[in-house]
Amino acid sequence: MVATGRNYQIIDLQTGQLDRSIFVDPDLYAEEQERIFGRAWLMIGHESLVPNTNDYFHTYMGEEPVILSRDATGRLRAFLNMCRHRGNRIVRTDTGNARNFACAYHGWTFSNEGELEYLPGEEEAYYGALDRDSLRLVEARVDTYAGIVFATWDPGAPSLDDYLGDARWLLDINFNRLDNGTEALGPIKWMEPVNWKTAVDNCSDNYHVPTTHLSSIIVQGRYRGLPRLTHEQQFQSEFKHMFVNGHSLTMRFLERPDQARQNHGVTAENREAFEEYYRQTLPEAERRLGSLRARKLQLGNHSLFPNGVLGFRLAHPRGPLQTEFWHFVVLEKDMPEDLKTALRRGSGNYNGVNGIFEQDDMDNWRGVTNSALTAMGRRYTQDLSMGVGHDRRHPDYPGVVAERYTSESNQRLFYKRWEQFMNAENWEDISLEPKTMGFEGTATLRG
Amino acid sequence: MATEMRSAAGSRMELWHDLMQFYIREAWILDERRFRDWLDLFTEDAFYFMPRRLNVHRHETERELTAVGDLAIFEDDKTYLTMRVERLETGMAWGEDPPSRTRHIVGNLIVDPQPNGEVNARTAFILYRSHHETEENIFAGYRDDVLRPTDGDWRIARRTIVLDANVIMAKNLSVFF
Repeated sequence: MVATGRNYQIIDLQTGQLDRSIFVDPDLYAEEQERIFGRAWLMIGHESLVPNTNDYFHTYMGEEPVILSRDATGRLRAFLNMCRHRGNRIVRTDTGNARNFACAYHGWTFSNEGELEYLPGEEEAYYGALDRDSLRLVEARVDTYAGIVFATWDPGAPSLDDYLGDARWLLDINFNRLDNGTEALGPIKWMEPVNWKTAVDNCSDNYHVPTTHLSSIIVQGRYRGLPRLTHEQQFQSEFKHMFVNGHSLTMRFLERPDQARQNHGVTAENREAFEEYYRQTLPEAERRLGSLRARKLQLGNHSLFPNGVLGFRLAHPRGPLQTEFWHFVVLEKDMPEDLKTALRRGSGNYNGVNGIFEQDDMDNWRGVTNSALTAMGRRYTQDLSMGVGHDRRHPDYPGVVAERYTSESNQRLFYKRWEQFMNAENWEDISLEPKTMGFEGTATLRG
Repeated sequence: MATEMRSAAGSRMELWHDLMQFYIREAWILDERRFRDWLDLFTEDAFYFMPRRLNVHRHETERELTAVGDLAIFEDDKTYLTMRVERLETGMAWGEDPPSRTRHIVGNLIVDPQPNGEVNARTAFILYRSHHETEENIFAGYRDDVLRPTDGDWRIARRTIVLDANVIMAKNLSVFF
């Protein structure tokens, strides 16, 4: 652990001014890998990506290459993809099925439970003196939320349940609605020329949508019959924008309980079929989530601290100026195949490296990142003052809730959370909000 | 017999030449940013598909490309393709405004006529893209097309684009393949 003794003060909550050097400083970036990505619960995969025993899926925790394995007993495990001998990567494929992993350098072979099972010349070359038990694969703690797999390197981290806290009260609306759960497809992977934080803080930026994405909103209205978000909905509605334990959440009210939830993939032609699906599944959803969450609320854009973006999508840091982005689509398993197809195609068409919405984000985020590369740019702060003084606790919703759907409250609090992680010596210095929501219904963390 | 073979060879050569010209014309249409004309090269029921490409072991290369039904990079019908083109015309498609400078180099054409009159055609491509001040991307890969004779010309009924890449080293795929 790098103990710098630095006391980061990068965001002023009263004025909303942000020190933009955090987007480009290489020393600070290295510290982020220890203090944020080394400590937090990180989304790394989905159970459906490793459905059978001995399946593995190659993933990342920040910059760390990680093997997500379902071992021979069916248990999910996450290992640093690093041979304990010289450090070579032992897995070079994206997915597969293997009982053990052999290093291609000298043949050290590890089981998918992490044991160093075999090495050539153990008796002769090492004279039987090697302590194989001390050379297990480096293993992270793993837990799941409704099929989504999380991992942390930090034995002192709180439980995943506490880490998500009341954020799950809203996440359940998307990810935990039905008994049979969800499946994930993907990822589409590409390299964004942006600092990872710009991709995350954009998640609950409802302000940018009508400007950045106007061209796509226009053609979506023309060809898919989707209405535009009105000025009233964006700026004056009762829609909510809230922040819990580092997680940014936005929420809209459903006009009807059977309203088609997704925007991407729903068309004038298939809307009726989606509504029929939501009508049919409503009793089950209501049993699991209670009537408020099942009938009234819709989860909008959101992020999970530190790098989970808009559903199960990941922003992997690759140096201060690069982010490897992974786009997955998560589908309810019970959904009819034609509706799954519509959502899958819509997901890839709207978001992802080719998405008509997402492709317009890239130059903006890069511009925000690169403004900190120059001396003059760094002299001026980023202005995140929108709605200062207009966010507070709310009797009905968790966390800090902005008065308006469009606010920079979540951005300010995201950078405050970043500051807390960076200044903390350990998890005792990182605050967690107590769970206060009722979690009506039978749904649990595990599904 | 020899005459028939020569004639068959002659007609294969003619077909190859015809399709090579079609692809050269298409490359110019794209690089001259005549995207409405490009859309017209596709049938109404066209399918424009780019699978993901995985790192797998050599003995499992049948899993290297994701199948239709899995999440794909592109899985467009003509409506989705039209939305991509019309969006550019709004003047507010910021990822392509100012527009990319592209150069499509297409070759290695193999033609395989089908009994129903359609032709399966495979081409290799290098797509160079320059954007803004100093950005550069090079995309390499191949395209498997199903070409359908329509109104005295060829139309693309199905295009599968396979990129030679795992992590796509570009900010976006806002250009056409």
